[in-house]
Amino acid sequence: MPSLKPKLDGATMKDTPTSFALPVVSDKAEATPAHDHAHDVVGDALDHAAAHSDASESGYGRTYWRSLEEKLGKPEYLEESRPEFPEGADLPPTGVARREFMQLLGASLALAGATACSTRPVDERMVPYTRTPPELVPGNPLHYASGMTFGGHTSGLLITAREGRPIKVEGNPQHPVNLGAAGPFEQAFLLSLYDPQRARVLRYRKEPRSLRTFGEELVAGLGRAVTENGGGRVRFLTEPNTSPVLDHLRSRIQQRMPNARFHSYTSVTQDAASEGTRTVFGQPATPLYDFSKADVILSLDADFLESRPANLAYARAFAQRRDPGEGNLNRLYVAEPRFTITGGMADHRLRVKSQEVLAIAAAIASRVGGAAAGLAGAAAAKAQLNEAHTRWVDAVAADLRAAGARTAVVAGERQPAIVHALAAAINVALGNVGQTVRFVPSATAETTSAAGLRGLVDEIKNGAVDTLVITAWNPIYRAPVDLGLRDLLDPATNPNRSKLTVIYSSLFEDETSAYADWFIPAAHELEYWSDGRSMDGTVTVVQPLIQPLFNGVSTPELLALFLGEPYRTSYQILRDFWRGRAVAGTDFETAWETWVSVGIVPDTATAAIAGTPNVDAARALVDAYTPPAAGELEVNFVADYKVYDGQFANLSWLQELPDPISKMTWDNAAYLSPTTAARLKLEPGDVATLKYGGRTLDVPVWIIPGTADDVVVLPLGYGRMGLHETVAKEVGFNANLVRTANAPWFDGGATLEKTRRTHKFALTQHHWRMENRPLALDMTVAAFRAEQEKEKTKGSTVLARVRGDLEGANLLPDFKYEDYKWAMAIDLARCTGCAACVVACQSENNIPVVGKEQVSRSREMQWLRIDRYFTGDELNNPEMVMQPVACVHCEKAPCEYVCPVNATVHSDEGLNDMVYNRCVGTRYCSNNCPYKVRRFNYLHYTADKTPTQKMLMNPDVTVRNRGVMEKCTYCVQRIERVRIKARVEKRPIFEKELQTACQQTCPTQAIVFGTLSDPNAQVTKDHNDERAYKLLHELGTKPRTAHLIRLRNPNPALVPPKPAEGQPAEGGH
Amino acid sequence: MAYVRSPFVTNQNRPLEQPIEFDHRHHAGDEQIDCRYCHFSVEKSPSAGIPSTTVCMSCHAQVWNKSPYLTLVRQAYFTDQPIPWVRVHNLPDFVYFNHAIHVAKGVGCVTCHGRVDQMAAIEQTAPLTMQWCLDCHRNPQPNLRPQEFITSLTWQPPEKKDEAAALGQKLAEQYDVHSRTSCSTCHR
Repeated sequence: MPSLKPKLDGATMKDTPTSFALPVVSDKAEATPAHDHAHDVVGDALDHAAAHSDASESGYGRTYWRSLEEKLGKPEYLEESRPEFPEGADLPPTGVARREFMQLLGASLALAGATACSTRPVDERMVPYTRTPPELVPGNPLHYASGMTFGGHTSGLLITAREGRPIKVEGNPQHPVNLGAAGPFEQAFLLSLYDPQRARVLRYRKEPRSLRTFGEELVAGLGRAVTENGGGRVRFLTEPNTSPVLDHLRSRIQQRMPNARFHSYTSVTQDAASEGTRTVFGQPATPLYDFSKADVILSLDADFLESRPANLAYARAFAQRRDPGEGNLNRLYVAEPRFTITGGMADHRLRVKSQEVLAIAAAIASRVGGAAAGLAGAAAAKAQLNEAHTRWVDAVAADLRAAGARTAVVAGERQPAIVHALAAAINVALGNVGQTVRFVPSATAETTSAAGLRGLVDEIKNGAVDTLVITAWNPIYRAPVDLGLRDLLDPATNPNRSKLTVIYSSLFEDETSAYADWFIPAAHELEYWSDGRSMDGTVTVVQPLIQPLFNGVSTPELLALFLGEPYRTSYQILRDFWRGRAVAGTDFETAWETWVSVGIVPDTATAAIAGTPNVDAARALVDAYTPPAAGELEVNFVADYKVYDGQFANLSWLQELPDPISKMTWDNAAYLSPTTAARLKLEPGDVATLKYGGRTLDVPVWIIPGTADDVVVLPLGYGRMGLHETVAKEVGFNANLVRTANAPWFDGGATLEKTRRTHKFALTQHHWRMENRPLALDMTVAAFRAEQEKEKTKGSTVLARVRGDLEGANLLPDFKYEDYKWAMAIDLARCTGCAACVVACQSENNIPVVGKEQVSRSREMQWLRIDRYFTGDELNNPEMVMQPVACVHCEKAPCEYVCPVNATVHSDEGLNDMVYNRCVGTRYCSNNCPYKVRRFNYLHYTADKTPTQKMLMNPDVTVRNRGVMEKCTYCVQRIERVRIKARVEKRPIFEKELQTACQQTCPTQAIVFGTLSDPNAQVTKDHNDERAYKLLHELGTKPRTAHLIRLRNPNPALVPPKPAEGQPAEGGH
Repeated sequence: MAYVRSPFVTNQNRPLEQPIEFDHRHHAGDEQIDCRYCHFSVEKSPSAGIPSTTVCMSCHAQVWNKSPYLTLVRQAYFTDQPIPWVRVHNLPDFVYFNHAIHVAKGVGCVTCHGRVDQMAAIEQTAPLTMQWCLDCHRNPQPNLRPQEFITSLTWQPPEKKDEAAALGQKLAEQYDVHSRTSCSTCHR
């Protein structure tokens, strides 16, 4: 009997047994009679509507589109996505013949008969604590401050635990960077804790060993090494280190083994920034920005709203200034090679090759003049400004000069040190230092780039290393290919390998562990005590939430083994260290307890560098700068928005998260601009051979408007080949295979040649589209004021449509709401589209992951989606608007009155309740929902959960079964918990105590939730805001979620001339 | 429908054997120990709380500390292994019942759990069907009692109907009872 359950837990659907294979949905649907346009009534109606719609209605002169095919009205697009659901969305999960189906049905009926006798399992056990921990009340959650370290920086988290199981990650509100927010990585961090594929066996080659054996052998071996040559043949390869306790351990190891050496490596390194600022300030420094004071911001290929480590704080401060209610809007200029989240927020975005950014920085610096003039002149001589960029550069420089010290210039980590020096020079020249920018000493003093590994590689090659200890994540996968780490650690290719013992510690058996002699399963960060610094130096205490699930060994305990001391737990190591640092005579105990409960050690932020900057000292960088090869395509490597450099690749939540820009799931692609793709005759989905630096790699191609011409963008982090990370395995391609240490981020001279193969992507961008109606609204401030004026005389078509008086009355009766009226407001001006909310929702509401094949059938389950619209008529260089859409909880909900079994009903507080146990899966509600926010469990996605994965589930939310409709509930479990608490205490619900999961994690506070019955609640203010509008207001559904129009603040000097009047504006198909 | 709502299907009146012969007749009846001594979280949590072994031993370290009935309890205590009690009142997984709010609004233990002081082994007396829940949620007043008698197993409302109704009315006002019947009240 074929199983009705798909292979799950994030494993891609490719290893589905053949019996379960679905009929393949071809790219171009065959023209079956049923879809013949001559008989397609719905299609005809849509055609008719499109032909007769008022052009100005749909976009009020602006054009909104979600993909190139849509913009161009390509036949494939029209054919493929004409039906509301993609082809095959309603197919049964197997190709079962009718007879087989009847057999199945018979079996399930028989089973139903058998179970009806006892509807409830009789032998369910209740297992109480033997000793209830004093702080714990069974059934109530507890919150602990902890942290997550990656790329060397630690962000402060607040973890919710239920009966000892961590189930949800939030940002620590007291942490200076997180400010209560958490990004997608932090949210999904929890998933790796419970990942059943985590390594559990400590082994020497293929033999399992105990930690004790390892320790004994290590002590014996190290003892010899210490006496012979002071550990001169011992090398450590670690993550960038900012943790005070690990730093202490390292210095003690160095004391014992003065000749041992530590190397650090991470993919996204801050080395260029440190180097650039070192020349100016005399010491490696990190710029910290205060965007709340910046009126004009220039980003030089800096994705500061999303790139770690300080993005959460930056996004909060930046977004505050996009809200006209908070004062004048800031203005953001971005020059970048591909569309980033930051680029999407830009008022003026210049798409340039990465190598042209230097010329732009130099040109702006010389136009700003002052202290920057000398350096800029030298740099400009090296890099010629493209003629086409002159107008932009002139306008930006003039704007920066006019705003003076209320500006900020940010350089991205992909750019070389000279660009960072120029950015610092412009900031100095404008007087920003001390105002919007302050420079603090770098948290990591060591180099962490691939180039810094060359010394280590040479030593291993020459057989100068006996023991190599790797605690850095998976260097064989993520180090650039030209370092040749894999060959170096492979006994078959390195004759000196037999002299070398490789000790590797990681959460998973991965690419690197295959070449390790000793493999030590690492403990997850939520399983041990540690600490770490954030960007500004603030120390976070990283607190464990649970005992190691898979016998992992923590990094502090592992390093402590090298001291040859008696075993101490990570708690003792950490506490002893901080006690040793306590000032004598102070009360350490109380202080320690406070630090652990608050999560941060107070007064540990680093002070700004006081010395005067010497901009001209950076000229050495200009001389040292060699421009990358010109000609052909410029290859660009970027950290992925979903899996970063690959360390989050095994997290199925992130794999299934649509990429914020491309909306791609379960894949990466080589991104090209439309023009470049046309020149190379490449279509989306073609596989092309990338030739660069003497290496070749086959990459599938995808086209993204807004990418610079002659640029190919390769996201890192895919193409994982580790044996045990089955979620990540063979998803996408590994861009590290053509990446070199010399040009880790961009270089010229690449070519792309079309092959005859194609690749099928699973994108969500066409799913759930909304026909031809004004949905995501964005306008310039001036245009908005003009529309507002027109609205007073009922002359504004667009505002009338989204919030005017309704003509025909909705026949549904009005509900009476006596108490709370739950509502949400989403500010499009603040939303960057980072997708943290989507992952938060998935985590809070036990939303399953469905796999690539199911996504391509439009069966993704995320309750909250972020629609990304391109706007503008310029195909290659559009603007972008992000719009989060979840169930809007209509007061007159179209879904409610079509449900034949009353499974979706209205609550007395305006919630559109979903009753899973009533739902029989007719999907009428989804059909009738104009917002397309309902998700249907086509298969039993939650079957086959392993015991550890079950621990992840939120016990306050039902785990849905197959055949059940589900959707956003406004986090009703949170409402009910807070309501009961308030009612027991006989008081109303406070606004601050109730937050939905998406709202709580939103870095920019774009999402607000509360009750409209409270006139002082933020949500009421937002609903009454001048920018507020309702999605599809014209239908009379009266949504409880309001969206706020995004306002743009363009520089008048750069506004393009108006398109000729009468030109038809294609609406958002 | 009569069948599915019959006590046979709803598992009513069926005492279940527990790993230890714990007798509520003795503890709640003879000794008059308040329910909340063992079910400690009933006023602050969705769950009433199953007592940990330390709670048992807080008395039985002194009294009946050699009783053969309590061998398993002592074993559980000294080996730090929990006692796997059998669940008697078992709601479906899609129902989220909260003890704290019911107790706070004047619904006594006995209303749903019956006279546990007369049960040798705990059995389910109420049907625990949705109909039964809704009956009370639509008209909670007859089932309200003063807070001081919330755990009393013997308290009875006044015998005269109008007095009982008046008391229900008064308590509903005093405790600000707003029993809700929206689906999401219990199903999430």
